Amino acid sequence: MLFRNRHFDDKPVALEILGLSVATAGNDPVPILNTIDVTIHQGETVCLVGESGSGKSVTSLAVMGLLPKGALEVTTGRIELDGKNLLDLDASQMRELRAQRISMIFQEPMTALNPVMKVGDQIEEVLDSHTKLPTREKKRRVIDIMQQVHLPDVERIYGSYPHQLSGGQRQRIMIAMALILEPKLLIADEPTTALDVTTQNQVLKLIAELQESHGTAVLFITHDMGVVAEIADTVYVMRNGDIVESAAVETLLRSPQKDYTRRLLEAVPSLVPRDARPESWADPVLSVDGLTKIYDTRGFFKKGRETKAAQDVKFRIKPGRTLGIVGESGSGKSTVARCVMRLIDPTEGRIKVGQTDIAKLGRGELQPHRKHIQIVFQDPFRSLNPRWTVGESLIEGPLNFGQSKAEAMKHAAELMELVGLPADALGRYPHQFSGGQRQRIAIARAIAMRPDILVADEAVSALDVSVQAQVLKLLDELQEKLGIAILFITHDLRVAAQICDEVVVMQHGRIVEHDTAENVLSQPSHDYTRALIEAAPGRHWDFANFRELSLHQTETA
Amino acid sequence: MAAQPQPTSAMQVVLGAIQLPRNWRLGLGPILAAIVLALIVIATASAYLYVPHNPMSMDALQRLKGPSETYWLGTDPYGRDLFSRVMVGGQVSLLIGIGAAIVSVIIGLLIGLVSGFFRLADAIIMRVMDALMAIPSILLAIALVALNGPSIWSVIFAITLPEIPRVVRLVRSVVLSAREEPYVEAAIALGSSMPKILWKHLMPNTLAPLIVQGTYICASAILTEAILSFLGAGVSTEIPTWGNIMAEGRLFFQIKPELIFWPGLMLSLCILSINLLGDTARDLLDPRLKKREA
Repeated sequence: MLFRNRHFDDKPVALEILGLSVATAGNDPVPILNTIDVTIHQGETVCLVGESGSGKSVTSLAVMGLLPKGALEVTTGRIELDGKNLLDLDASQMRELRAQRISMIFQEPMTALNPVMKVGDQIEEVLDSHTKLPTREKKRRVIDIMQQVHLPDVERIYGSYPHQLSGGQRQRIMIAMALILEPKLLIADEPTTALDVTTQNQVLKLIAELQESHGTAVLFITHDMGVVAEIADTVYVMRNGDIVESAAVETLLRSPQKDYTRRLLEAVPSLVPRDARPESWADPVLSVDGLTKIYDTRGFFKKGRETKAAQDVKFRIKPGRTLGIVGESGSGKSTVARCVMRLIDPTEGRIKVGQTDIAKLGRGELQPHRKHIQIVFQDPFRSLNPRWTVGESLIEGPLNFGQSKAEAMKHAAELMELVGLPADALGRYPHQFSGGQRQRIAIARAIAMRPDILVADEAVSALDVSVQAQVLKLLDELQEKLGIAILFITHDLRVAAQICDEVVVMQHGRIVEHDTAENVLSQPSHDYTRALIEAAPGRHWDFANFRELSLHQTETA
Repeated sequence: MAAQPQPTSAMQVVLGAIQLPRNWRLGLGPILAAIVLALIVIATASAYLYVPHNPMSMDALQRLKGPSETYWLGTDPYGRDLFSRVMVGGQVSLLIGIGAAIVSVIIGLLIGLVSGFFRLADAIIMRVMDALMAIPSILLAIALVALNGPSIWSVIFAITLPEIPRVVRLVRSVVLSAREEPYVEAAIALGSSMPKILWKHLMPNTLAPLIVQGTYICASAILTEAILSFLGAGVSTEIPTWGNIMAEGRLFFQIKPELIFWPGLMLSLCILSINLLGDTARDLLDPRLKKREA
């Protein structure tokens, strides 16, 4: 693995954070950041890594002077840009500084851009508010920066609205806006988290390239160790508002000093598939054949078009087995999951659960078959009714199938212990649990029906890596104990490698590859699969063992 | 996110929709409004037990008298006691206001839930609602009262009907966004029946906006009732209401403005305080709106 192994000790310091503490405002302040120190040299990329709630975003907001007023405030410390303490500046001086000296890109470019303004004008607006250039010069600079971020067909995109661009293009626009005034420091807060892997890869390369040519210092915030391995010069690991450890990227990944860093790295799922399980000879519990879903937006009065969200999808799962569906956004993987659950109606095809084809059953006829197949959703904050206690959520299904309330409650208590939560928490509400705990509850709710098949739709994508590892382990144990078949939908090849027996790769609504996890990841036969694997950040590094993947593995992975 | 134990009193369970911000404080306005409204309600309600004079009994000798110890606010052209009439008049106004609010919210809720969840029903229901909204509400109310006769119940019906489409639209929009929530999809996957999903998962989401909407409907219904009575198209003139007291006083407005002033004052205070309380409820139930102002 090639790290960026560059040295910056002789370069001037661009930004220095000295003993910065941030706490909540009010009468009894809760500390959010505890005297942290960060140094960024000119041209250096510093990664702040940590799980949610570690304080990495608060750090970046403090530097930008954008801490929410009345909620968070700096208690002690200095933030020095070129030797000037930013905390001494007033609002108007800070406004002058932003975009000129420091700029920021955000996670979700769609919400960061103004939806009713052409993107060219939005970039120009940055120039308008900080410089006085003649119109022609302004336009020239905007076109120039748009070319630098490798946007195709610049003239057309200049006059486009954000919704007319893809996610990757929008993020490029954001980067263009951030860099047009040649700031000293670029803060990137999870800039690629909302993007597909192939797009992410391009955006990471772009940031690195622009940094080289402009000599910008980059403060890069991420939770993804793969991204860190690709882009960082120096890494700061954060946890609960403290900096646990900081080192050059290779040193940190090879020989982490602190337990927390080790645990964090060990939790990163490996791209090398887990050992294959023995072949099963049982009859499949779920077989899908020729599944097609067409969204038809044509109406009586309007022109529209057909969108083929899924086409001729075919797979089967045996009890106790896990089939992964992998693909980027828009590949149709979630459409398949929702068709299989009959949350939407497939246009064509068969979905056999056990012996019954449920593809064409009506609402009433479907009801008795619902209990055989259950789903766990991506977002644990929205998949539980916030007004219901956990107990009420857990017994909803069993009550529908005629269990008595007392019996269902007793079973719910057992389920809570099965998923590793205290049984006496049944009376609590979802907001009293963390994301990982809620996902356990959602799994318990699905398991309460004793289903044959569990559909996990990006079920671990919203979780921190360490929590992700625990939930994956839980799914594995449940499968062992209960013999459920799992249909695992994910965009993350690493996760797929760790849990799936077989992997289906989807692109544009079609299956492009279907094989064992081992074969798909080590001998991909389709170009698209190969592109996906190549785009996976940090794919040559074995995070859990703190070394390169061995030569054999590197070749195959 | 750290698990924060929050008190779960019986009240909070009952009103699951309402989660008050932890440090909320009412300003002076809402408190004054609540006091004024409480006084009006107590005054009109106590008129059931005791009024100084029979509000219907005429006395030709006491026509258009000024305020005195026997007639606190004076008398009207027929020698009836204005104070008693204003007190009793409030009964009809409040009854119609509250009645119209409750009935339109309940009917609108039921129709809105169905409309928000079932596509086919939605297409039909919303066209009917569009048609209802296309007719000016006062005109529709006058027509309905003319059709059904001038009883309190027909006035309530006439005021309620034009309000229903607004409630339906509100409920429908809440249901449309809530039905996309994964917990609703999970409930479908768990085999819950449609009525159960509608009532237990979706309905609670509509409670907070409905409470606010209900107060506005209440205020506007009281006003509409007064307008109808003033036009002579409301409750029969034998029953005193704020509207028809003012209608009768209109002829003598130049000699004796109190005939319009007192019922008008009560009407304005009542509507003002209900609207103020509605605004307060909205700020408490949807703190985002308040933040936007700040």
